[in-house]
Amino acid sequence: MNPYWGAGFFEFFAIFFSRIGQFMLGQFSALSADEVQVGVLSCVAISCGVVGPFLVLKKMAMFANSLSHTILLGIVSSYLLASFLWGGGMFDLSTLLMGAAVAAFLTAIFTEGFVRFLRLQEEASVGLVFTSLFALGIVLVTLYTRNVHLGVEAVMGNVDALCFSDFRVAAWLAAFNALLIALFYRPFQIVSFDSNFAKTLGISCGFFHSLLLFLAATVCIGAFRSVGVLLVLAFLVGPYLTARLFSSRLSRLLLLSPLLGILASLIGVALSRHLLSVYDLPLSTGGIVVMVIGLFYVMALFGKLCMCHRWEKFHA
Amino acid sequence: MSFLDFFTDPVLRGPTWGTLLMCISSSLMGVVLFFKKRILLGESLSHATYPGVVAGVSFFAFFFPAHEEWTFVAVLGGAFISSLLGLKAIEWMEQKGKVRSDAALCFVLAVFFGIGTVGASAMQLAIPVWYQQVQILLFGQAATMSDSHIILYAVLSSAVVLFITCSFRPLQALLFDRDFAKSAGIPVLFLEKMVFWLLLFSIVLGIRSVGVVLMSGMVIAPVIAARQFTHQLRMVFFLSACFGALSGLLGNILSVIGSSYFSFQETLTLPTGPMIILVSASFALFSLLFAPHRGWIFRLSRMVFFRLRCLQENILKALWRNGSLSFLDLRKAHAISSFSFRLALFGLSQEGWIEKKGGLFSLTKDGIQKAESVVRLHRLWELYLARALGFEGDRIHRNAEEMEHILTPELERQLTVLLANPTADPHNQPIPQKERGL
Repeated sequence: MNPYWGAGFFEFFAIFFSRIGQFMLGQFSALSADEVQVGVLSCVAISCGVVGPFLVLKKMAMFANSLSHTILLGIVSSYLLASFLWGGGMFDLSTLLMGAAVAAFLTAIFTEGFVRFLRLQEEASVGLVFTSLFALGIVLVTLYTRNVHLGVEAVMGNVDALCFSDFRVAAWLAAFNALLIALFYRPFQIVSFDSNFAKTLGISCGFFHSLLLFLAATVCIGAFRSVGVLLVLAFLVGPYLTARLFSSRLSRLLLLSPLLGILASLIGVALSRHLLSVYDLPLSTGGIVVMVIGLFYVMALFGKLCMCHRWEKFHA
Repeated sequence: MSFLDFFTDPVLRGPTWGTLLMCISSSLMGVVLFFKKRILLGESLSHATYPGVVAGVSFFAFFFPAHEEWTFVAVLGGAFISSLLGLKAIEWMEQKGKVRSDAALCFVLAVFFGIGTVGASAMQLAIPVWYQQVQILLFGQAATMSDSHIILYAVLSSAVVLFITCSFRPLQALLFDRDFAKSAGIPVLFLEKMVFWLLLFSIVLGIRSVGVVLMSGMVIAPVIAARQFTHQLRMVFFLSACFGALSGLLGNILSVIGSSYFSFQETLTLPTGPMIILVSASFALFSLLFAPHRGWIFRLSRMVFFRLRCLQENILKALWRNGSLSFLDLRKAHAISSFSFRLALFGLSQEGWIEKKGGLFSLTKDGIQKAESVVRLHRLWELYLARALGFEGDRIHRNAEEMEHILTPELERQLTVLLANPTADPHNQPIPQKERGL
């Protein structure tokens, strides 16, 4: 029985925090679906919150968008390959992840290669690579599953059908990303702000660039199954942009953006539950979280503009 | 089903003409975006249409449930409004929020698509039949287009074509030098506004046949292909429209034929969008690789031939200096693979410049002349550097080592006149005369 059944927006928080209190006091009870959602989303928020700032700083936000599209091709082709080789019997999650990783790698290679060897504009190269690979993925999905909507599911994920194993994967991923960023905080900072300075210090820009790509790919892949790549994009960019309005210190940004992401996922899940219990509307929780992230940014921007305005008036 | 049927058959002609017209307008607008270096704007704007599509279809479902054939008007209207909002949001973020353009694009894309997802999930239970219509628009389904679509599409894409032909000159000025255009009295702001309105039009038109998710590909790929073949803006526009039209046509035909080919057990409709994108992306890839002058293969082969010629000329010089040399002696001076070395030697003997006698290579009469001309260029350049530009020492030799391969007969003539037909270089080596041996 889900303890959140029929709960409104504020009741949700009351139940949520009382259950956390119970958990602290040692009264364990099975995680409910809503808590798993909050958990997974928070973990995704953490992984994205630490990787996102660097992606935006290095102007790779649209590349993350590209990755999020091409992963579909990797997953479909690994699925086809696995079912062709082993008749689908040996097919499991790790095959999918390998396929996604290969696709992410190929995307990076193609995008860079088109710019370097074929002398294409960088933006055009990003656009050409991901649209064509994604189109290929969609055609394969349609041919194989006879259903084009698997592609839709891939893009948007399904937050409403998460299970505990997803939580475990997301938690591992969050820990991994946070650890790597914490370990290489300095070099990442130097590389993303001043690559020439990094060169004089003997820091390999290429290595950290690829490491960042790798982290972005793992975030996309890890979140693909649980929450969908769209949500990942929002989590990568949104909290960072919001936090950026209030702080310009990278260390603070790296703390603030995961926190904002976690807050957004809490509010999003509560809102989704509220709509379900009060209006009987089962909406896509992932989409609601994205909307909340967008709302955060708009509110923060308005708040800041008003504050600046008042500040100017005060001094005038 | 013959090829002409696609244009005349009452069922087939709708999708064919619709896709064709839509692809022309989006690939024309792609050219503008490409030269403004904002090509990914198309990606964000096409995703931003999604909430509008959802809202438009739901609006129609609630108020005019009986007139299903007119849904596309609501779809177009909703998509237009929401992508306009997306555009405004991007501009606003970039100007007011001081956000970098790629982050703004990515953020707007994600948030708008998120809003659309929420709306679609609300539709899924409330009005499932109409929900299917929205889902089709994600990846495009040209098959159900009718003649009324064609008329609308024709009007809108001829507006795009008309705008570009009428305002070609000012547009050109705007694309390449905005400040110049402004100072020349061109209404820059008005033109930019028009460009964005037409861009929105063409994207909104496109979502029917290419789909919300892939629409940006149709903006990007044709102009990439067109840019490879020409550097005249007029021709880029023209070629881009051609590539766009061709890929729209082929993609549509492939999707029709493919659908009937693969539907052996159950009906399967290949979505039109991905097919069109695949066709246009392969055009782009092909032109990136094989286009004359700018294509990769062309540039690569030019480089390889130049390197080979340099190597050959260096071999000739070495033989000219040393009389005859064995293969190993020749090879010692050049750090290059054995294969290309043999290739260079083979080329030289084919030209009749060198001959091999008892394991030793030596120059023929023609070869001597050729080698002397290379040496002459080298020493002329050395003299020019020393006398006219005041270079000294070792630098002139190294520079001349490169220039001897690049100097053309025309330049040689000019140098000869400039230096008053010299006979010795700065190192007091004789400069071989041009007409010797004739």
